Amino acid sequence: MDKKMAQLMEIVGKTNVFDNPQMGKDFSPVSDHVTSIKPRYMVKPKDVNEVQKIVIWANKTHTPLIPLSSGGPHFRGDTSPTVHGAVVVDLSGMKRILKIDRRNRLVCLEPGVTYTTLLPELQKEGLRIAMPILPRSNKSVLTSLLEREPVLSPKYQWNLLEPLRSLEIVWGNGDKIWSGSGVFRGEKEEDWKEGLVPVWGPGPMQLDYYKFVSAAQGCMGIVTWASVKCEVFPESRKLFFIQAQKLDDVIEFTYKLLKFRLGDELFIINNTCLGYIIADKPEEASALKATLPAWAVVLGITGGQILPGEKVEAQESDISDIARQFGLEMVPEIENCSGRELLELLLKPSEEPYWKLRYKGGAQEIFFLTTLDRTPGYVETMHSAADESQYPIGDIGVYIQPVHQGVCCHLEFVLPVDLMSPAESSQGQKLFRDASHRFFNQGAYFSRPYGIWADMVYQKDAKTMMVMQKVKEIFDQNNVMNPGKLCF
Amino acid sequence: MTMPKNIYKALEGIVGPENISDDPAVLDSYRYSLAHTAIHLGPFFDTFTPRGSAVLLPGSTEEVQAIVKLCNKYRIKFKASSTFWSAQGYPSEDNTIQLDMRRMDQILEIDEKNMFAVIEPGVIGATLQAEAMKVGLNTHIPGAGCSCSTLAGATSYFGSGPSNLYGGWHYDNLLGVEWVMPTGEILRTGSLGAGCGWFCGEGPGPSMKGVARGFIGSKGAMGVYTKCAIKLFAWPGPTTLPVEGIVPAYKTSLPDNFKAYTVAFPSWKSWADAVYTIWDTGVGYIAHRQYSMFGRDLKFAMIKILTDPTKTLGDLEEILDDPEVQKITEESKRDFQIVLAGMTKRDIEWQDKALDEILSRTGGWKVEAMNEPEINKWMLLYLIRLGHKNLNLVFGGSYDGCFGLLGSADFGTSHVEEAAEFKKRWEKRGAVVEAGGDCMMGPIGGQGGGGTCLWENFTCFDPYDRDSIEGTLEFFDACTELGLERGWGVGMEKWNSQARGPDGRIAPKEERDRIHLSAPQPDIFRYQHKIRKAFNPNDLGDAYYETLDDS
Repeated sequence: MDKKMAQLMEIVGKTNVFDNPQMGKDFSPVSDHVTSIKPRYMVKPKDVNEVQKIVIWANKTHTPLIPLSSGGPHFRGDTSPTVHGAVVVDLSGMKRILKIDRRNRLVCLEPGVTYTTLLPELQKEGLRIAMPILPRSNKSVLTSLLEREPVLSPKYQWNLLEPLRSLEIVWGNGDKIWSGSGVFRGEKEEDWKEGLVPVWGPGPMQLDYYKFVSAAQGCMGIVTWASVKCEVFPESRKLFFIQAQKLDDVIEFTYKLLKFRLGDELFIINNTCLGYIIADKPEEASALKATLPAWAVVLGITGGQILPGEKVEAQESDISDIARQFGLEMVPEIENCSGRELLELLLKPSEEPYWKLRYKGGAQEIFFLTTLDRTPGYVETMHSAADESQYPIGDIGVYIQPVHQGVCCHLEFVLPVDLMSPAESSQGQKLFRDASHRFFNQGAYFSRPYGIWADMVYQKDAKTMMVMQKVKEIFDQNNVMNPGKLCF
Repeated sequence: MTMPKNIYKALEGIVGPENISDDPAVLDSYRYSLAHTAIHLGPFFDTFTPRGSAVLLPGSTEEVQAIVKLCNKYRIKFKASSTFWSAQGYPSEDNTIQLDMRRMDQILEIDEKNMFAVIEPGVIGATLQAEAMKVGLNTHIPGAGCSCSTLAGATSYFGSGPSNLYGGWHYDNLLGVEWVMPTGEILRTGSLGAGCGWFCGEGPGPSMKGVARGFIGSKGAMGVYTKCAIKLFAWPGPTTLPVEGIVPAYKTSLPDNFKAYTVAFPSWKSWADAVYTIWDTGVGYIAHRQYSMFGRDLKFAMIKILTDPTKTLGDLEEILDDPEVQKITEESKRDFQIVLAGMTKRDIEWQDKALDEILSRTGGWKVEAMNEPEINKWMLLYLIRLGHKNLNLVFGGSYDGCFGLLGSADFGTSHVEEAAEFKKRWEKRGAVVEAGGDCMMGPIGGQGGGGTCLWENFTCFDPYDRDSIEGTLEFFDACTELGLERGWGVGMEKWNSQARGPDGRIAPKEERDRIHLSAPQPDIFRYQHKIRKAFNPNDLGDAYYETLDDS
């Protein structure tokens, strides 16, 4: 037996080390972000002690580690090894929900907890979590939040990392710390009663440790649990549409809602993207596009435990009034899609197949941050690039998600491709690269720089890269954590 | 020590002769009496922060960068301050160059749609608020008050205050930052560094804003922040805050979509129940336990004085004898203030009803005396503008907070009575103002959306009186001892004691190490040491950036 395998078995037990030659396929990215190299092993730790031992072992043996929490398919290449001899640290077995505390609206969870398992448990306690749009059913909640995936309700994001709070972090050097107020990790029930709870995200003290592991693609360390702020599960909720022929027509209206923090879930979507979400079958998506409005603001209104009906009623009237001021109309349903049906979809992870893959079996996604007023310009750029690549413009899904209470927004293009067709696959890859560069030159902020985006952003912002490398040197001096990603 | 002439000349070349001085008289005006600090000595002991070797007023980022590079060349410590709140804004070591940032006082941009402002260090909360209100926006004003630098609170200290709940504390609100690092290199965080604008402070990838500040900032010990973007929030009021009245009873009349209440509760349990429900429900624009800073026994009497220009502190005892005042004082023992702001008519109607419902469910009530129009209008202005910071010093000339129970609403409420009773013992001895023990002030919502409270027990003393100073020091030592014994941690009274000893200078390394080794996670300070070594290799800051080097 290989010496490394024997050492790993000593740490996690014989049954939790996998030397599977087929594993490489599972870790190939769907998109064109990175070229994957087959990992040497995969290990499944069961707790933080084992994680820490694995990291210390990796430092001694100079073995690259790739943390992985979610199930596939993986889109962005961040969990694909790009160096030889890597060991994938599969955290999916660490799937305990450690605590749900209704009073402080906190959940403490391990990285293997998925949205599928978390949502019903929260609901039992009268809570919910601000969700990303239709995550994969096997998507790790912790990873989604660590990677700063946007959530549907911008009003609860007082900062961009919300609702993530305290973390337990094993750094690349093997040290373990608790960030935020994670030192109060509520191991004893009395602590929760006394209010000694992991409710803060920042710090502690003068460094912001959770920001070092945020959107880090596993390059800094491994997070073994997190506390997450929840919202009250609403007793009353409705979903509405405000439709328009042009994206420009809903921008000012959306700004107004964001300013007044009216509504709960709030995003803008084009007909193609909405079609991908509500279609059961590929052929339905095409048909739906034709009937759905070119653009729609999707808006949820919720009422919690205090006078929920009255709140929903007041906001419904207010938002209707505001819509009218902008020459728009708020409606509970549009042709082929009712608010109730869409709400049901949005409150759960995606059905299989994953919604972005539903139309053609594969998809490229391009996303970045910008301000809402600039989104129409980027849509125009996307259309030009698609036109030049002879990619059907009608297949481009557009999803605009305001974040951080509307200071900026996540703009995402979904580009379905048939991976079985080499020609189409190659066309999709070309478009992905071309459009990415155009957006970058136009001022798009690739705040989560996966794959080729990393080179683009760090070449332009050398100072940030220098600071990141110094920080990496402190927390992972042997560069064992996911080498080859970002600027490491 | 006099600064060598060649260095002075080089610095003069950067900022111009009119913006540099090493005149002892000028330098002494940049020293601070150690009253409101971790030392609490006061002018009686004639102990001040060390005299700087020169004071400079840079006018641009380029000038700041050139100064910092020169400081690295000659290994000279420097400390920047914008509005000099407390001892933290002043050097703790001799021969430090002081940078007074007041010339960089421009609001560079207010992005109305995307709701943020780009500001320089000299912009104070009141100015930014006034400009923001003109376009229907508002800015969070931290507890240091509206005359303090917004940038300083956001980048370098804490940034927490009464409007955390709706507006977010400045940790939440800090977007892009321009930071002249201790080596003189410039880091622009997030979207700013990428050349995409000021709207995002995080990333690309891991956020290096986390080096610039964490839960608190580096208090001027790690370079100079020269610009930043601050997130704003809706202001559904008039474009100019109408201010009326006679000093000190300034007040404001606002439209009906604003309501200001003092709410009170029969027990701390019901107080906490209400706070949690307010957070769950999402009502409130500003929420703070404000007037308890005057003390549980004195607060309503003080409000009577402060809202009536004909009254002075000399009337306090007479007012306290008034049975009606006594009744209201008793009624508002466990209180806090809350301002509702309706974005629409329906919104304020719903919020008002929701608050009533919360009070009904938790057994709370509105303190009717605080709804008296003149008091109510005064309260509105006080809480919105936070322009009454002079009142922190009104009793004895100095104050400091102690305990500072920081955590969930249940945490503070579990211990407030014990902490208040403890203080009463010292109040009776006469060293500190006898105010009822419970002088616990702090936000109802330490961060955006709530979730935490801070209980800062105001302790007012006379910094010109030896007995008062010594009694206060003794009391604060006892607070620390009690806090450690009870598991509350080291209180605010000692939060800066590692940075400055009784002589006003940096505390000895052994003392700093002792403090940091007794922390729940000493590694936090070891990592800060590594960060300082990496980003401040010539160690040109002071001990307000807390490090542990025990390797």
